[in-house]
Amino acid sequence: MANDKNAGSGKLGTFGYNALALSIFILLWTIVSWISESLFLPTPWTVLKSFLDLCTYGDVEGISLGMHIFKSTLRIFAGFVAACILGIPLGILMGLYPRVYDSTKSVIEPIRFIPPVAWIPLVIVLLVGFSRYAFIIWLGAFFPIFIGTLLSVRSVNPTHIDVPRSFGAKRLYIIRKIVIPSTLPDIFTGMRVGMGIGWDCIMAAEMIGGENEGLGVMILKYAELIRIEDIMVGMIVIGAIGFFINEIFIFVERRVFKWKEAIVIS
Amino acid sequence: MERELIDVDMSMKFDNLSVLEDIKFKVHENEFLVIVGPTGCGKTTLARLLGGLSKPSSGHVTIAGEDVNPKIHNVSFVFQEPSCIPWLTIWDDISMGLEIKGNNPQTAETKARIKEVIKLVGLDGFEEYFPKQISGGMKQRVAIARAYATKPDFLLMDEPFGHLDAQTRYLMQIEIMRIWEREKKTVAYITNNIEEAVYLATRIIVLSKLPARIKAEHSINLPRPRDLTGPDFLRIRAEITEQCEVVG
Amino acid sequence: MTNNYAEKMKTMGLNFFTLAMVLVLWTLIAYWQKSPFFATPYDIVLGFVQMVTVGDVEGYRLWSHMLHSLVRVSAGFAAACLVGIPGGLLLGLYPKIYDRTRILVEPIRFISPIAWIPMAIVLLVGFSRYIFVIWVASFFPIFVSTLWSVRQVNAVYVNVARVAGASRLFIIRKIIFPSILPSVIGGMRISLGISWMCIVAAEMIGGQMVGIGRLILKSAMVTRMDLVVVGMISIGFVGYATNELIIFIEKRIFRWRAAVSIE
Ligand SMILES: Nc1ncnc2c1ncn2[C@@H]1O[C@H](COP(=O)(O)OP(=O)(O)OP(=O)(O)O)[C@@H](O)[C@H]1O
Ligand SMILES: [Mg+2]
Repeated sequence: MANDKNAGSGKLGTFGYNALALSIFILLWTIVSWISESLFLPTPWTVLKSFLDLCTYGDVEGISLGMHIFKSTLRIFAGFVAACILGIPLGILMGLYPRVYDSTKSVIEPIRFIPPVAWIPLVIVLLVGFSRYAFIIWLGAFFPIFIGTLLSVRSVNPTHIDVPRSFGAKRLYIIRKIVIPSTLPDIFTGMRVGMGIGWDCIMAAEMIGGENEGLGVMILKYAELIRIEDIMVGMIVIGAIGFFINEIFIFVERRVFKWKEAIVIS
Repeated sequence: MERELIDVDMSMKFDNLSVLEDIKFKVHENEFLVIVGPTGCGKTTLARLLGGLSKPSSGHVTIAGEDVNPKIHNVSFVFQEPSCIPWLTIWDDISMGLEIKGNNPQTAETKARIKEVIKLVGLDGFEEYFPKQISGGMKQRVAIARAYATKPDFLLMDEPFGHLDAQTRYLMQIEIMRIWEREKKTVAYITNNIEEAVYLATRIIVLSKLPARIKAEHSINLPRPRDLTGPDFLRIRAEITEQCEVVG
Repeated sequence: MTNNYAEKMKTMGLNFFTLAMVLVLWTLIAYWQKSPFFATPYDIVLGFVQMVTVGDVEGYRLWSHMLHSLVRVSAGFAAACLVGIPGGLLLGLYPKIYDRTRILVEPIRFISPIAWIPMAIVLLVGFSRYIFVIWVASFFPIFVSTLWSVRQVNAVYVNVARVAGASRLFIIRKIIFPSILPSVIGGMRISLGISWMCIVAAEMIGGQMVGIGRLILKSAMVTRMDLVVVGMISIGFVGYATNELIIFIEKRIFRWRAAVSIE
């Protein structure tokens, strides 16, 4: 908004100010940590060094940062894909047959309100290894995807359905041509939200689950050793991955949903 | 008088709300039948029944002696609500009816037909546009082109220009008349605008307020293009207006 | 409309039926498994009674766990509202400040709040750990939804007021505030959901022995699966109740809105 007037130079201005803000921030951080010499406030350079060490030598147990990232993303991916495979068709089906959802609400709704993280101890007892994590991620990502799809199917514009119906289209044609394209943006939003919750869940599951690979457990290990710089590295990596995945979603949404009036992203 | 195509004799209720009572009329081949009635009287309900989108609570709506069914009969519907499909381009939207009727949209023949109707409604050059990129009047033309493309035996239009401003509406009326004179069709056209009715119709059916009954019928034999200010036009218009205002 | 009523009764009946089916199936599986890891619904009722009357292995009763979790969430959540709403309002009114310093705020948004727990463990002690984690978790949805809704306030309304000679404060109070309120409350509801998830994680990982999250974890350690499920149901219930509370307030405040979407 602010830079509409002089788009070209305005954009550069905003970018420049951001660079300036970042520089000032890093400078301040350096100075304060340098003066305070506190264990709890490492300098940016210490953090950078920790990052390089984590990449090359690995953590206290010799597990490299890359390995932690790999493990966490693999778990997320498995649970997330499972959530999509189950949540999208089920959401479409229950949206098309509202009776089914309305008559099973008494079972579905209470489960929806139990935070997925609260399942972790139960899952630790009942499942082992990889399946623990995949299950928790699945649980966390499932509901946003499922509910998003379901509500979206229910709110398909009835006139859009009547158009093919007025030509005598078959049910499957209507689902393929109208229902699915119309719900796709909401499915995507559900997936984006589900992915975010999936990340929260994997962090908690790794911290509680007791294995020693994964970004969540990595930062917890360093909390016990009071090594702030390594915790910071972990958090920055987590934030960067989260940001990156979100960008991919937004990119795809912009591409696929060209027909949308306007895309509101927050 | 031409052959009778559609035979209507039915009543319609929603739960306990009686909307249409003893609606009984016929539609003849190639006639432009206009149905007028006050807002909320059940015009859309009637149109949906004529198009086979819903079933009457009692009685029948038949086309050539058979219960109307879009899966069997070649009927088309132009909706009162904006009905462009947001994720389809104008071209894909217009080809939808043809596709459902079993034409492969990739064949030269189908493509030629789509081109033809696009030209007919004056949308050439906008084939690859999405609905969000065109005006309200253009969207209505897409809906008409879509309905026309399948060469329907029976074309239903439910207040197709109700959302448009008076100027555009007038232009669209001229256009629809032009199209109808070129490709004669059996049309049932629904409106609450009496001037529009007299301008377009070969015959007018007047509905009462809810629950709707048939209140009057008029054959309009004025020459075309009709003069909105001609004495005969004004006389018929006044007559129907009077009928509409009598408490129904 | 009798039809409608019959329909409702039928839906309710079917709901009872599914619920009963699930409970029967669950009981059957539990009996068939004969495993200490699988509590029957009956065990859970007994567990619930025990939690209410006697308490867990350390003698903390259910209400005490619930109260602790509730206080932690409320405190962190209130702190997030206190900072997030005025902060969002301010940066929404001066969009340049936000646009030019985004790079500092935006990356933090993508760090999962649970990843802050180890940091909180190192830097803080006791109660403040939990508050901090909840604060981080609920701050961003509130802050971001406030900020964006301020930016999207219909310029027409603002101009109408401005043309009429209204002061800046008047515009904020009478026009901006009412029009952003719905999305601010929307942000609060999202925050609350995340907070309930984070408090469970924080309680499991942080040190104190009381809190529903901790109840679930320590019961699992001694394979008291009945108490684990009691804990899970309790947290679900509290989460549900607080969500309903916000919806209730929302409905009360926004009677002027055409329809309140409940989801
Ligand atoms: N599906 C439905 N269920 C219950 N009542 C309905 C339904 N559809 C229409 N009605 C009722 O039937 C009556 C007629 O509605 P209809 O849409 O046919 O009116 P209309 O003549 O097309 O009005 P307008 O000119 O405003 O388009 C209204 O009272 C409406 O409430
Ligand atoms: Mg209507």
